[in-house]
Amino acid sequence: MSAWLEIKDLHAKVGDKPILNGLSLTINAGETHVIMGPNGSGKSTLSNVLCGNPHYEVTGGSVEFKGQNLLEMSVEERARAGIFLAFQSPTELPGVSMSTFMKYALNARRKAAGEKELDAVSFMKRIKIRAQALDITDEMLKRPVNVGFSGGEKKRLEIFQMAVLEPDFCILDEMDSGMDVDAVKVAGSGVQIMRSPERSFLVISHNTKFLREQIKPDHVHILALGQVVAEGGAELMDEIDRNGFAGFLKEAVA
Amino acid sequence: MVEEISKITQLTIETGKTAVFVEKQLSDKAEIVIEAGARVKHYRLHENAEHALSVKIGRGASYEVVTLHKGNGDLTLSFDLAGEEAFCRSDVVYLLGGEEKSLISSDVRHNADNTVSRQLVKGAVTGKAFATFEGGVLIPYERKKIDGAQQHRAILLSPDATVKAVPRLEIYADDVKCAHGSAIGSLNQDQLYYLMTRGIDEADARALLTRAFLDEVFDSIEEDDVREDFRRLAVFEK
Ligand SMILES: Nc1ncnc2c1ncn2[C@@H]1O[C@H](COP(=O)(O)OP(=O)(O)OP(=O)(O)O)[C@@H](O)[C@H]1O
Ligand SMILES: [Mg+2]
Repeated sequence: MSAWLEIKDLHAKVGDKPILNGLSLTINAGETHVIMGPNGSGKSTLSNVLCGNPHYEVTGGSVEFKGQNLLEMSVEERARAGIFLAFQSPTELPGVSMSTFMKYALNARRKAAGEKELDAVSFMKRIKIRAQALDITDEMLKRPVNVGFSGGEKKRLEIFQMAVLEPDFCILDEMDSGMDVDAVKVAGSGVQIMRSPERSFLVISHNTKFLREQIKPDHVHILALGQVVAEGGAELMDEIDRNGFAGFLKEAVA
Repeated sequence: MVEEISKITQLTIETGKTAVFVEKQLSDKAEIVIEAGARVKHYRLHENAEHALSVKIGRGASYEVVTLHKGNGDLTLSFDLAGEEAFCRSDVVYLLGGEEKSLISSDVRHNADNTVSRQLVKGAVTGKAFATFEGGVLIPYERKKIDGAQQHRAILLSPDATVKAVPRLEIYADDVKCAHGSAIGSLNQDQLYYLMTRGIDEADARALLTRAFLDEVFDSIEEDDVREDFRRLAVFEK
Protein backbone atom coordinates (compact mmCIF):
# COMPACT_ATOMS: atom_id res chain seq x y z
CA MET A 1 0.00 0.00 0.00
CA SER A 2 1.39 3.40 -0.90
CA ALA A 3 1.55 5.95 1.88
CA TRP A 4 -1.43 8.18 2.44
CA LEU A 5 0.46 11.11 3.93
CA GLU A 6 4.17 11.18 3.35
CA ILE A 7 6.36 13.97 4.69
CA LYS A 8 9.94 13.73 3.45
CA ASP A 9 12.88 15.77 4.69
CA LEU A 10 10.74 18.83 5.33
CA HIS A 11 12.48 22.13 6.02
CA ALA A 12 10.65 25.32 6.97
CA LYS A 13 11.50 28.67 8.44
CA VAL A 14 9.94 31.85 9.78
CA GLY A 15 11.81 34.91 8.64
CA ASP A 16 15.46 33.85 8.95
CA LYS A 17 14.76 31.30 11.64
CA PRO A 18 14.79 27.62 10.59
CA ILE A 19 12.22 25.65 12.61
CA LEU A 20 11.73 22.39 10.77
CA ASN A 21 15.05 20.78 9.90
CA GLY A 22 14.52 17.70 7.79
CA LEU A 23 11.37 16.21 9.24
CA SER A 24 10.08 12.92 7.86
CA LEU A 25 6.88 11.18 8.82
CA THR A 26 4.52 8.71 7.17
CA ILE A 27 0.89 8.12 8.08
CA ASN A 28 -1.42 5.56 6.51
CA ALA A 29 -5.17 5.74 6.19
CA GLY A 30 -7.00 4.88 9.36
CA GLU A 31 -3.98 5.30 11.65
CA THR A 32 -3.64 7.46 14.71
CA HIS A 33 -0.25 9.02 15.28
CA VAL A 34 1.02 11.05 18.19
CA ILE A 35 3.71 13.70 18.21
CA MET A 36 5.36 14.60 21.46
CA GLY A 37 8.29 16.90 21.99
CA PRO A 38 9.60 19.75 24.10
CA ASN A 39 8.12 23.24 23.92
CA GLY A 40 9.39 25.03 20.85
CA SER A 41 10.44 21.84 19.03
CA GLY A 42 8.23 22.67 16.03
CA LYS A 43 4.99 20.73 16.60
CA SER A 44 2.62 23.63 15.94
CA THR A 45 4.83 24.79 13.10
CA LEU A 46 4.48 21.40 11.41
CA SER A 47 0.69 21.60 11.81
CA ASN A 48 0.59 25.03 10.23
CA VAL A 49 2.95 24.11 7.41
CA LEU A 50 0.67 21.19 6.56
CA CYS A 51 -2.28 23.62 6.40
CA GLY A 52 -0.35 26.08 4.22
CA ASN A 53 0.03 28.98 6.64
CA PRO A 54 1.72 31.71 4.56
CA HIS A 55 3.71 32.78 7.63
CA TYR A 56 6.03 29.80 7.23
CA GLU A 57 8.28 29.33 4.25
CA VAL A 58 8.96 25.79 3.14
CA THR A 59 12.61 25.66 2.07
CA GLY A 60 12.95 21.97 1.25
CA GLY A 61 11.43 18.54 1.23
CA SER A 62 8.07 17.24 0.06
CA VAL A 63 4.62 16.41 1.37
CA GLU A 64 2.36 14.05 -0.50
CA PHE A 65 -1.25 13.64 0.57
CA LYS A 66 -3.45 11.05 -1.12
CA GLY A 67 -1.24 11.17 -4.17
CA GLN A 68 -1.25 14.97 -4.46
CA ASN A 69 1.60 17.39 -3.91
CA LEU A 70 0.26 19.16 -0.84
CA LEU A 71 2.81 21.97 -0.88
CA GLU A 72 1.47 23.26 -4.19
CA MET A 73 -2.07 23.61 -2.91
CA SER A 74 -3.65 26.71 -1.41
CA VAL A 75 -4.88 26.77 2.18
CA GLU A 76 -8.51 26.27 1.19
CA GLU A 77 -7.68 23.53 -1.33
CA ARG A 78 -5.91 21.58 1.38
CA ALA A 79 -8.92 21.98 3.65
CA ARG A 80 -11.26 20.76 0.93
CA ALA A 81 -8.92 17.86 0.21
CA GLY A 82 -9.61 16.78 3.79
CA ILE A 83 -7.00 18.37 6.04
CA PHE A 84 -8.19 19.85 9.31
CA LEU A 85 -6.27 21.46 12.14
CA ALA A 86 -7.74 21.93 15.59
CA PHE A 87 -5.63 24.89 16.63
CA GLN A 88 -3.60 25.17 19.80
CA SER A 89 -4.74 28.82 20.02
CA PRO A 90 -7.86 29.33 17.91
CA THR A 91 -8.33 32.76 16.32
CA GLU A 92 -11.09 35.13 17.38
CA LEU A 93 -13.60 36.19 14.71
CA PRO A 94 -15.53 39.19 16.10
CA GLY A 95 -18.88 39.60 14.39
CA VAL A 96 -18.92 36.07 12.91
CA SER A 97 -21.06 33.45 14.67
CA MET A 98 -20.06 29.79 14.75
CA SER A 99 -23.15 28.81 12.77
CA THR A 100 -22.41 31.36 10.03
CA PHE A 101 -18.81 30.15 9.97
CA MET A 102 -19.84 26.52 9.54
CA LYS A 103 -22.44 27.41 6.91
CA TYR A 104 -19.75 29.11 4.83
CA ALA A 105 -17.32 26.25 5.38
CA LEU A 106 -19.80 23.53 4.37
CA ASN A 107 -21.07 25.46 1.37
CA ALA A 108 -17.53 26.23 0.20
CA ARG A 109 -16.89 22.48 -0.05
CA ARG A 110 -20.16 21.91 -1.84
CA LYS A 111 -19.52 24.75 -4.25
CA ALA A 112 -16.08 23.35 -5.06
CA ALA A 113 -17.64 19.93 -5.67
CA GLY A 114 -20.29 21.47 -7.94
CA GLU A 115 -23.10 20.73 -5.49
CA LYS A 116 -25.99 22.93 -4.43
CA GLU A 117 -25.86 24.89 -1.18
CA LEU A 118 -27.08 23.06 1.88
CA ASP A 119 -30.70 23.93 2.71
CA ALA A 120 -31.45 25.43 6.10
CA VAL A 121 -33.05 22.31 7.56
CA SER A 122 -30.25 19.90 6.65
CA PHE A 123 -27.72 22.42 7.87
CA MET A 124 -29.39 22.82 11.26
CA LYS A 125 -29.64 19.05 11.61
CA ARG A 126 -25.98 18.57 10.93
CA ILE A 127 -25.02 21.28 13.42
CA LYS A 128 -27.44 20.37 16.20
CA ILE A 129 -26.59 16.67 16.52
CA ARG A 130 -22.89 17.37 16.77
CA ALA A 131 -23.35 20.29 19.13
CA GLN A 132 -25.38 18.15 21.50
CA ALA A 133 -22.80 15.39 21.51
CA LEU A 134 -20.12 17.89 22.53
CA ASP A 135 -22.20 19.82 25.09
CA ILE A 136 -22.28 22.93 22.91
CA THR A 137 -25.31 25.12 23.50
CA ASP A 138 -27.26 27.21 20.96
CA GLU A 139 -25.98 30.28 22.72
CA MET A 140 -22.38 29.21 22.02
CA LEU A 141 -23.21 28.78 18.33
CA LYS A 142 -24.64 32.28 18.13
CA ARG A 143 -21.78 34.06 19.83
CA PRO A 144 -18.86 35.37 17.78
CA VAL A 145 -16.31 32.63 17.15
CA ASN A 146 -13.78 32.27 19.98
CA VAL A 147 -14.54 35.73 21.39
CA GLY A 148 -14.78 35.63 25.17
CA PHE A 149 -14.86 31.83 25.37
CA SER A 150 -12.84 30.04 28.02
CA GLY A 151 -9.76 28.11 26.93
CA GLY A 152 -11.52 24.77 27.30
CA GLU A 153 -14.62 25.96 25.45
CA LYS A 154 -12.51 27.10 22.50
CA LYS A 155 -10.93 23.65 22.28
CA ARG A 156 -14.32 22.01 22.40
CA LEU A 157 -15.50 24.29 19.57
CA GLU A 158 -12.51 23.20 17.47
CA ILE A 159 -13.55 19.56 17.93
CA PHE A 160 -17.08 20.60 17.04
CA GLN A 161 -15.86 22.10 13.75
CA MET A 162 -14.01 18.89 13.03
CA ALA A 163 -17.17 16.87 13.65
CA VAL A 164 -19.20 19.14 11.35
CA LEU A 165 -16.69 19.19 8.50
CA GLU A 166 -15.78 15.47 8.68
CA PRO A 167 -12.22 15.80 7.39
CA ASP A 168 -10.06 12.83 6.37
CA PHE A 169 -6.95 13.94 8.18
CA CYS A 170 -7.34 15.56 11.59
CA ILE A 171 -4.47 17.30 13.30
CA LEU A 172 -5.21 18.02 16.94
CA ASP A 173 -2.72 20.47 18.41
CA GLU A 174 -2.87 20.21 22.20
CA MET A 175 -6.62 19.85 22.18
CA ASP A 176 -6.56 18.56 25.77
CA SER A 177 -4.71 21.52 27.25
CA GLY A 178 -6.99 23.87 29.13
CA MET A 179 -9.83 21.35 29.23
CA ASP A 180 -11.19 20.05 32.51
CA VAL A 181 -11.37 16.31 33.16
CA ASP A 182 -14.96 15.99 31.96
CA ALA A 183 -14.45 18.09 28.85
CA VAL A 184 -11.44 15.97 27.88
CA LYS A 185 -13.64 12.88 28.09
CA VAL A 186 -16.36 14.48 25.96
CA ALA A 187 -13.83 15.62 23.37
CA GLY A 188 -12.00 12.29 23.52
CA SER A 189 -15.19 10.41 22.78
CA GLY A 190 -15.84 12.91 19.96
CA VAL A 191 -12.53 11.80 18.46
CA GLN A 192 -13.23 8.11 19.04
CA ILE A 193 -16.58 8.34 17.26
CA MET A 194 -14.83 9.80 14.23
CA ARG A 195 -12.29 6.99 13.95
CA SER A 196 -12.65 5.16 10.67
CA PRO A 197 -10.48 3.18 8.25
CA GLU A 198 -10.54 6.21 5.90
CA ARG A 199 -9.65 8.80 8.50
CA SER A 200 -6.29 9.44 10.14
CA PHE A 201 -5.30 11.48 13.16
CA LEU A 202 -2.16 13.31 14.15
CA VAL A 203 -2.43 14.20 17.80
CA ILE A 204 -0.04 16.60 19.52
CA SER A 205 -0.06 16.59 23.29
CA HIS A 206 2.14 16.76 26.37
CA ASN A 207 -0.22 14.58 28.37
CA THR A 208 0.57 10.85 28.22
CA LYS A 209 -2.42 9.94 30.40
CA PHE A 210 -4.76 11.65 27.93
CA LEU A 211 -3.02 9.99 24.99
CA ARG A 212 -3.18 6.52 26.52
CA GLU A 213 -6.77 6.75 27.71
CA GLN A 214 -8.47 8.81 25.01
CA ILE A 215 -6.33 8.53 21.88
CA LYS A 216 -4.72 5.08 22.02
CA PRO A 217 -2.22 5.79 19.25
CA ASP A 218 -0.78 3.33 16.76
CA HIS A 219 2.48 5.26 16.45
CA VAL A 220 4.38 7.79 18.51
CA HIS A 221 6.94 10.23 17.12
CA ILE A 222 9.26 12.34 19.21
CA LEU A 223 10.06 15.72 17.75
CA ALA A 224 13.10 17.73 18.79
CA LEU A 225 14.73 20.71 17.10
CA GLY A 226 12.47 20.34 14.11
CA GLN A 227 13.23 16.67 13.44
CA VAL A 228 11.71 13.34 14.31
CA VAL A 229 14.31 11.84 16.65
CA ALA A 230 12.49 8.69 17.70
CA GLU A 231 9.60 6.60 16.48
CA GLY A 232 7.78 3.69 17.96
CA GLY A 233 4.63 2.48 19.62
CA ALA A 234 2.88 3.55 22.79
CA GLU A 235 5.89 2.31 24.82
CA LEU A 236 7.79 5.51 23.90
CA MET A 237 5.42 7.34 26.23
CA ASP A 238 6.64 5.22 29.15
CA GLU A 239 10.16 6.42 28.52
CA ILE A 240 8.94 10.04 28.46
CA ASP A 241 7.03 9.56 31.70
CA ARG A 242 10.18 8.19 33.36
CA ASN A 243 12.93 10.38 31.95
CA GLY A 244 11.36 13.23 29.99
CA PHE A 245 12.86 14.13 26.61
CA ALA A 246 16.50 14.18 27.77
CA GLY A 247 17.43 10.87 26.17
CA PHE A 248 15.87 11.80 22.84
CA LEU A 249 17.47 15.25 22.74
CA LYS A 250 20.95 13.75 22.67
CA GLU A 251 20.07 12.05 19.41
CA ALA A 252 18.90 15.30 17.89
CA VAL A 253 22.19 17.04 18.55
CA ALA A 254 24.23 14.03 17.40
CA MET B 1 -44.16 51.82 12.36
CA VAL B 2 -41.48 52.44 9.77
CA GLU B 3 -42.45 55.10 7.28
CA GLU B 4 -40.97 55.22 3.78
CA ILE B 5 -40.17 58.69 2.63
CA SER B 6 -38.01 60.00 -0.18
CA LYS B 7 -36.13 63.15 -1.09
CA ILE B 8 -36.61 65.14 2.08
CA THR B 9 -35.76 68.79 1.55
CA GLN B 10 -37.34 70.41 4.56
CA LEU B 11 -38.97 68.63 7.43
CA THR B 12 -40.03 69.51 10.93
CA ILE B 13 -40.87 66.91 13.52
CA GLU B 14 -43.15 68.56 15.98
CA THR B 15 -42.83 68.68 19.73
CA GLY B 16 -43.21 65.34 21.40
CA LYS B 17 -43.75 63.33 18.18
CA THR B 18 -42.13 59.97 17.53
CA ALA B 19 -41.13 58.82 14.05
CA VAL B 20 -39.07 56.15 12.30
CA PHE B 21 -38.38 56.66 8.64
CA VAL B 22 -36.42 55.12 5.84
CA GLU B 23 -35.28 57.32 3.02
CA LYS B 24 -34.16 55.40 -0.05
CA GLN B 25 -33.70 58.34 -2.37
CA LEU B 26 -32.07 61.49 -1.15
CA SER B 27 -32.34 65.08 -2.35
CA ASP B 28 -29.24 67.25 -2.74
CA LYS B 29 -29.90 69.03 0.46
CA ALA B 30 -32.12 68.29 3.44
CA GLU B 31 -32.88 70.42 6.45
CA ILE B 32 -34.58 68.82 9.38
CA VAL B 33 -35.75 70.31 12.62
CA ILE B 34 -36.49 68.08 15.57
CA GLU B 35 -38.56 70.01 18.04
CA ALA B 36 -38.44 69.64 21.80
CA GLY B 37 -38.97 66.11 23.13
CA ALA B 38 -39.47 64.52 19.71
CA ARG B 39 -37.81 61.18 19.04
CA VAL B 40 -36.75 60.30 15.54
CA LYS B 41 -34.91 57.45 13.87
CA HIS B 42 -33.86 58.10 10.31
CA TYR B 43 -32.31 55.52 7.98
CA ARG B 44 -30.76 56.72 4.77
CA LEU B 45 -29.39 54.93 1.73
CA HIS B 46 -27.21 57.09 -0.40
CA GLU B 47 -25.55 56.24 -3.69
CA ASN B 48 -23.40 58.13 -6.18
CA ALA B 49 -24.61 61.65 -5.46
CA GLU B 50 -23.74 64.77 -3.57
CA HIS B 51 -25.80 65.12 -0.48
CA ALA B 52 -25.98 67.43 2.49
CA LEU B 53 -28.02 66.89 5.62
CA SER B 54 -28.38 69.38 8.39
CA VAL B 55 -30.37 68.72 11.51
CA LYS B 56 -31.25 70.91 14.43
CA ILE B 57 -32.17 69.01 17.58
CA GLY B 58 -34.26 70.71 20.25
CA ARG B 59 -34.50 70.42 24.00
CA GLY B 60 -34.80 66.84 25.23
CA ALA B 61 -35.17 65.56 21.67
CA SER B 62 -33.46 62.49 20.28
CA TYR B 63 -32.34 62.04 16.69
CA GLU B 64 -30.70 58.84 15.51
CA VAL B 65 -29.57 58.53 11.93
CA VAL B 66 -27.76 55.76 10.07
CA THR B 67 -26.49 56.53 6.59
CA LEU B 68 -25.22 54.02 4.06
CA HIS B 69 -23.07 55.83 1.56
CA LYS B 70 -21.90 54.10 -1.58
CA GLY B 71 -19.85 55.36 -4.46
CA ASN B 72 -18.97 58.80 -5.73
CA GLY B 73 -20.26 62.06 -4.39
CA ASP B 74 -19.65 63.91 -1.18
CA LEU B 75 -21.69 63.45 1.94
CA THR B 76 -21.94 66.43 4.24
CA LEU B 77 -23.55 66.02 7.63
CA SER B 78 -24.21 68.69 10.18
CA PHE B 79 -25.88 68.33 13.56
CA ASP B 80 -26.76 71.13 15.88
CA LEU B 81 -27.57 70.00 19.40
CA ALA B 82 -29.48 73.19 20.05
CA GLY B 83 -31.55 72.44 23.17
CA GLU B 84 -30.52 71.12 26.55
CA GLU B 85 -30.47 67.35 26.93
CA ALA B 86 -30.64 66.78 23.20
CA PHE B 87 -29.25 63.49 21.92
CA CYS B 88 -27.83 62.66 18.52
CA ARG B 89 -26.49 59.41 17.12
CA SER B 90 -25.17 59.70 13.60
CA ASP B 91 -23.62 56.48 12.27
CA VAL B 92 -22.30 56.06 8.77
CA VAL B 93 -21.19 53.09 6.71
CA TYR B 94 -19.37 53.88 3.51
CA LEU B 95 -18.32 51.60 0.66
CA LEU B 96 -16.16 52.71 -2.20
CA GLY B 97 -14.57 50.74 -5.01
CA GLY B 98 -13.10 51.13 -8.47
CA GLU B 99 -12.02 54.70 -9.10
CA GLU B 100 -14.61 56.19 -6.79
CA LYS B 101 -13.82 59.17 -4.68
CA SER B 102 -15.74 60.69 -1.84
CA LEU B 103 -15.44 63.19 0.96
CA ILE B 104 -17.54 62.39 3.98
CA SER B 105 -17.67 65.21 6.43
CA SER B 106 -19.55 65.53 9.65
CA ASP B 107 -19.95 68.33 12.11
CA VAL B 108 -21.50 67.82 15.50
CA ARG B 109 -22.04 71.04 17.45
CA HIS B 110 -22.91 70.88 21.12
CA ASN B 111 -24.63 74.25 21.38
CA ALA B 112 -26.50 73.50 24.61
CA ASP B 113 -25.65 72.04 28.01
CA ASN B 114 -26.18 68.39 28.93
CA THR B 115 -26.12 67.20 25.34
CA VAL B 116 -24.90 63.80 24.18
CA SER B 117 -23.59 62.75 20.77
CA ARG B 118 -22.50 59.36 19.46
CA GLN B 119 -20.99 58.66 16.10
CA LEU B 120 -19.61 55.43 14.64
CA VAL B 121 -18.33 55.68 11.08
CA LYS B 122 -17.13 52.54 9.35
CA GLY B 123 -15.77 52.29 5.84
CA ALA B 124 -14.67 49.57 3.45
CA VAL B 125 -12.67 50.73 0.46
CA THR B 126 -11.35 48.67 -2.42
CA GLY B 127 -9.92 49.05 -5.93
CA LYS B 128 -8.32 52.45 -6.39
CA ALA B 129 -10.98 54.30 -4.47
CA PHE B 130 -10.18 57.22 -2.23
CA ALA B 131 -12.25 58.18 0.79
CA THR B 132 -11.75 61.06 3.15
CA PHE B 133 -13.52 61.32 6.47
CA GLU B 134 -13.53 64.69 8.17
CA GLY B 135 -15.05 64.41 11.58
CA GLY B 136 -15.74 67.58 13.49
CA VAL B 137 -16.97 67.92 17.03
CA LEU B 138 -17.45 71.41 18.41
CA ILE B 139 -17.97 72.13 22.09
CA PRO B 140 -18.14 75.89 22.64
CA TYR B 141 -16.75 77.79 25.60
CA GLU B 142 -18.77 77.57 28.85
CA ARG B 143 -20.88 74.60 27.78
CA LYS B 144 -21.48 72.21 30.67
CA LYS B 145 -21.88 68.45 30.99
CA ILE B 146 -21.16 67.57 27.40
CA ASP B 147 -20.68 63.96 26.41
CA GLY B 148 -19.50 63.27 22.90
CA ALA B 149 -18.01 60.22 21.20
CA GLN B 150 -16.76 59.74 17.69
CA GLN B 151 -15.13 56.64 16.27
CA HIS B 152 -13.97 56.12 12.72
CA ARG B 153 -12.73 52.75 11.44
CA ALA B 154 -11.87 51.82 7.90
CA ILE B 155 -10.55 48.76 6.17
CA LEU B 156 -8.54 48.87 2.99
CA LEU B 157 -9.40 45.89 0.84
CA SER B 158 -6.81 46.47 -1.85
CA PRO B 159 -3.27 47.83 -1.92
CA ASP B 160 -4.34 50.83 -4.04
CA ALA B 161 -7.28 51.91 -1.89
CA THR B 162 -6.83 54.99 0.27
CA VAL B 163 -8.61 56.38 3.29
CA LYS B 164 -7.70 59.65 4.91
CA ALA B 165 -9.10 60.66 8.26
CA VAL B 166 -9.10 64.25 9.41
CA PRO B 167 -10.41 64.69 12.92
CA ARG B 168 -11.42 68.22 13.85
CA LEU B 169 -12.07 68.47 17.54
CA GLU B 170 -12.73 71.93 18.81
CA ILE B 171 -13.25 71.71 22.51
CA TYR B 172 -13.29 75.01 24.33
CA ALA B 173 -15.18 73.94 27.46
CA ASP B 174 -13.90 72.03 30.53
CA ASP B 175 -16.90 70.03 31.69
CA VAL B 176 -16.62 67.59 28.83
CA LYS B 177 -16.30 63.91 28.07
CA CYS B 178 -15.22 63.39 24.51
CA ALA B 179 -13.85 60.06 23.35
CA HIS B 180 -12.69 59.84 19.79
CA GLY B 181 -10.51 57.67 17.65
CA SER B 182 -9.70 56.64 14.13
CA ALA B 183 -8.09 53.48 12.80
CA ILE B 184 -7.39 52.44 9.24
CA GLY B 185 -6.04 49.00 8.43
CA SER B 186 -6.31 45.88 6.35
CA LEU B 187 -8.13 42.67 7.07
CA ASN B 188 -6.50 40.54 9.75
CA GLN B 189 -4.27 37.88 8.14
CA ASP B 190 -4.72 35.40 10.99
CA GLN B 191 -8.48 35.61 10.66
CA LEU B 192 -8.30 35.08 6.90
CA TYR B 193 -6.04 32.08 7.40
CA TYR B 194 -8.33 30.59 10.03
CA LEU B 195 -11.35 30.87 7.70
CA MET B 196 -9.40 29.39 4.80
CA THR B 197 -8.25 26.38 6.86
CA ARG B 198 -11.94 25.49 6.97
CA GLY B 199 -12.15 25.47 3.16
CA ILE B 200 -13.52 28.97 2.60
CA ASP B 201 -11.84 30.60 -0.39
CA GLU B 202 -10.08 33.91 -0.03
CA ALA B 203 -12.76 36.03 -1.71
CA ASP B 204 -15.50 34.64 0.53
CA ALA B 205 -13.31 34.91 3.61
CA ARG B 206 -12.67 38.57 2.84
CA ALA B 207 -16.36 39.23 2.22
CA LEU B 208 -17.28 37.50 5.47
CA LEU B 209 -14.81 39.53 7.51
CA THR B 210 -15.87 42.76 5.80
CA ARG B 211 -19.50 42.00 6.55
CA ALA B 212 -18.66 41.28 10.20
CA PHE B 213 -16.79 44.58 10.39
CA LEU B 214 -19.70 46.62 8.98
CA ASP B 215 -22.32 44.73 10.98
CA GLU B 216 -21.23 46.54 14.12
CA VAL B 217 -23.16 49.54 12.78
CA PHE B 218 -26.12 47.59 11.41
CA ASP B 219 -26.54 45.47 14.54
CA SER B 220 -27.70 48.57 16.40
CA ILE B 221 -30.67 48.96 14.03
CA GLU B 222 -33.67 47.61 15.94
CA GLU B 223 -36.08 47.39 12.98
CA ASP B 224 -35.44 43.95 11.41
CA ASP B 225 -36.53 44.81 7.85
CA VAL B 226 -34.49 47.96 7.79
CA ARG B 227 -31.42 46.21 9.13
CA GLU B 228 -31.70 43.52 6.46
CA ASP B 229 -32.13 46.19 3.75
CA PHE B 230 -28.90 47.81 4.86
CA ARG B 231 -27.04 44.52 5.07
CA ARG B 232 -28.21 43.52 1.61
CA LEU B 233 -27.12 46.81 0.07
CA ALA B 234 -23.81 47.09 1.89
CA VAL B 235 -21.87 44.85 -0.47
CA PHE B 236 -19.57 45.40 -3.40
CA GLU B 237 -21.17 44.37 -6.67
CA LYS B 238 -19.22 41.58 -8.29
N1 LIG C 1 5.34 33.04 13.65
C1 LIG C 1 6.50 32.83 14.31
N2 LIG C 1 7.39 33.83 14.42
C2 LIG C 1 8.57 33.63 15.08
N3 LIG C 1 8.91 32.48 15.64
C3 LIG C 1 8.06 31.46 15.56
C4 LIG C 1 6.80 31.58 14.89
N4 LIG C 1 6.16 30.41 14.97
C5 LIG C 1 6.98 29.59 15.67
N5 LIG C 1 8.12 30.22 16.03
C6 LIG C 1 9.22 29.64 16.80
O1 LIG C 1 9.48 28.35 16.30
C7 LIG C 1 9.75 27.45 17.36
C8 LIG C 1 8.78 26.30 17.30
O2 LIG C 1 7.48 26.77 17.66
P1 LIG C 1 6.20 25.83 17.71
O3 LIG C 1 5.07 26.66 18.07
O4 LIG C 1 6.14 25.06 16.45
O5 LIG C 1 6.60 24.87 18.94
P2 LIG C 1 5.77 23.71 19.62
O6 LIG C 1 6.57 22.48 19.46
O7 LIG C 1 4.39 23.70 19.12
O8 LIG C 1 5.80 24.16 21.16
P3 LIG C 1 4.69 24.05 22.34
O9 LIG C 1 4.86 22.70 22.93
O10 LIG C 1 5.12 25.11 23.29
O11 LIG C 1 3.35 24.30 21.75
C9 LIG C 1 9.68 28.26 18.64
O12 LIG C 1 10.98 28.64 18.99
C10 LIG C 1 8.86 29.45 18.25
O13 LIG C 1 9.20 30.58 19.02
MG1 LIG D 1 2.55 24.13 19.93
